[in-house]
Amino acid sequence: MAIRTIPRGEVPPGEKAHLLKFVCPPTFDGGPFDPQPRTVLVERKLMRNEKLQLPSRVRVKTGRRELPIWIIEDPDDSRNGRVFPSKTIRVRQDSVVHARVSASTNTHTIHWHGIEPSPINDGVGHTSFELTSRFVYQFSPHTTGTYFYHCHKNTVLHFEMGLYGLLIVDPPEGPGFTRANVPGVPGFDPARMLVRYDVEAFWVPDEMDSVWHELGHDAFMQACDDDDPLAPDTFTRDGFLNDFRPDVFLITGVVSDGSSIVDPRVQVRARVGQTILVRLLNAGYTIQEYTLPVDATVIGIDGHPLGVPPFGIYSQPYTIPAGTPFRLTSARRFDLLLRPTARGTFPAQFRYIDWIRGTAYHTASTSIVVQ
Amino acid sequence: MRRREFLQVGLQGLGLVAAHSLVLPPLAGCTVMEPPLEPALGTALELHITEALVEMIDKTPVYHWLFAPRPGGIDFGPRFPGPVIFATAGEAIRIALTNDLDEDHAFEVAGVAGTASGPIPPGGTATVDFVVPVAGTYIYLDPLNAPLNRVLGLHGVLVVLPGGFDPAGPVNTPYTNPTPAVQRLFDDLGTAPQFPGDPWLAERTTVWLFHQIDPEVNARVQAGLPVDPARVRENFLPRYFTLNGRSGALAAHSDDTVLQGFVGEPRLVRIVNTGLVTHSPHIHANHVFPTSIDGVVQENVPSIDTWTVAPLDRIDWLVPFVRPPDIPGDPLVPLRQLLARELSLVVGGVPQSPLRYPMHGHNEPSQTAAGGNYPQGLVTDLVFLGDVDKVPFPNSHLGIGGPPHVPGSDDHDAH
Repeated sequence: MAIRTIPRGEVPPGEKAHLLKFVCPPTFDGGPFDPQPRTVLVERKLMRNEKLQLPSRVRVKTGRRELPIWIIEDPDDSRNGRVFPSKTIRVRQDSVVHARVSASTNTHTIHWHGIEPSPINDGVGHTSFELTSRFVYQFSPHTTGTYFYHCHKNTVLHFEMGLYGLLIVDPPEGPGFTRANVPGVPGFDPARMLVRYDVEAFWVPDEMDSVWHELGHDAFMQACDDDDPLAPDTFTRDGFLNDFRPDVFLITGVVSDGSSIVDPRVQVRARVGQTILVRLLNAGYTIQEYTLPVDATVIGIDGHPLGVPPFGIYSQPYTIPAGTPFRLTSARRFDLLLRPTARGTFPAQFRYIDWIRGTAYHTASTSIVVQ
Repeated sequence: MRRREFLQVGLQGLGLVAAHSLVLPPLAGCTVMEPPLEPALGTALELHITEALVEMIDKTPVYHWLFAPRPGGIDFGPRFPGPVIFATAGEAIRIALTNDLDEDHAFEVAGVAGTASGPIPPGGTATVDFVVPVAGTYIYLDPLNAPLNRVLGLHGVLVVLPGGFDPAGPVNTPYTNPTPAVQRLFDDLGTAPQFPGDPWLAERTTVWLFHQIDPEVNARVQAGLPVDPARVRENFLPRYFTLNGRSGALAAHSDDTVLQGFVGEPRLVRIVNTGLVTHSPHIHANHVFPTSIDGVVQENVPSIDTWTVAPLDRIDWLVPFVRPPDIPGDPLVPLRQLLARELSLVVGGVPQSPLRYPMHGHNEPSQTAAGGNYPQGLVTDLVFLGDVDKVPFPNSHLGIGGPPHVPGSDDHDAH
């Protein structure tokens, strides 16, 4: 008997415009639409070419000594506006944010990951549009926690190239406080579900494939065919963005060469009795495994505080004992409370594990220095 | 009748009346009218093990081994993935298998004792009788040459519903023994201020089966070349990433994958991964609640926007379908007023109403197809059709992708 074929399915004529938009998002500018009175204005510009200096012990497939990366820039901040990861956005809970985003090179978007606004403010091309000049996004973050922002155009490449930064939603009380239901932790206010921290750390492990960093913005994107959006010849069959083989490993923009990272962007310094808040984000495409030297209480996941109304009441904070490895995959966030009880320098380990084979590419480390 | 209405009819029948049935994935990624298969109680669910070429998103045909349901001898053809089998906890079920291929194959529900057929020789048959386990989401597969036979396409989902939904009893959950946290969550849907709208209804269930295909592995099997199962994983380079057998624009365009409803219509999504990559699916517009993980109803249920789905994982998400919470403005004003301008926009020839968001793999290599381009992999849409008071947004009939296609009609999307 002849072997049967299960067809892919065709595009009904009445749905062609929708599928074409999915494959080839339109561009659009303007905003904010349906504006509400703004309390915060954020400016961001996409994008800027930068180079990441590689430590002498780090050898990459392309043979380069510096890795080309892309960053999102704060055009109003000439001193700190051109950093990698892109400059952290910090806003208070319940503020009305207008984010004026300009795209000077190619088309881009910004998606505010974990923030849940209307579709035109969500920054996804195929459900809204990409921008060529400027769009003002509008959103009002209602939940205190850790989020991030990143470009959602040809995302597999643009996010990997570095177009991302942290987005922190502070409670109305401001930085130094966050929310969680953690009775027993010094400084916890049960009436407001508020917890005070003394030291704030940002751990954003990421990894890069140097070969990808030779590619252009639209690398391997599907061609646009108005008559047949899914025509076989619109697909770029020589692409390799399904094949990610990282050779550069970072924590919060600092490249690891295997030795313990002491850069102040990564290493944590605290005193005995202080409370450390670690904001941890997997900004890569590997499975990341972390082993911390002190007990860590998970107080927030994906920007939502545990044990806190309205959506957190089906959960409660829990503790990961010192020395117990735990894992996060791409884009997941943990907010961790650490309260070291002894002086010393304690190593924290980060392993980058292949998403198929389950084997580790690299182990990076830093330390928590307690005085 | 569109396919989702059939799905709902089938599920309602299942939720309220103890019965078992198969629900087929649509053949071609568009609306296909097919009745759910409901063999009479006491008869067997007949599955053949066969082969077919499955066209990928770029139309490349890729060889697969597949289950083909043949209820009452009617040949429904091979399915990728296999049909969703719905059953009720505690019922007796019989599956009759026929191996139409040239090597041994087998059937079992992964992790459920007493469901294994053992090897079935070429041309052979086997019968599996078992009592359906506790309510939850299960994977059935061919366990031979693991993971090869499963990866080649011999897999599907078994959904087990708790028996005896009682309208006067405690609020329905999808579980036989819900934890206090999960019971409280389902109690709160439609009653607590954070979840205005409806309680969860059993028919508001969607199954998402994630799979990945390395066509070189399939081609070797098709050519009769040896493949060492122990080395499939280390050499696996997936080129296609599917959701219920489809990818990209087509997966974002199918009734059985897209989540749609009004604000306040919570939906359970049963996610399984039959492939070899660890996915990190991210949903926009709503944080969701992972209520069950690998068969364990959870004691501690956070609200999350991204989760880890490793090979053979079974994860249930309760998607609350709350109004996207970070839209500025008075929460008492309906979105149709608050977003009047946005809902009137047409961008790229497509109305911005109803409100459409993506769910996609955040391990972004899963967004590629044929090694390139974005986003033609593991992706679908989440669509809000109207406000919590059931007043629809403009064009809410567009729902999944576009209007129901009427042969000979004009292009509605051009409006």
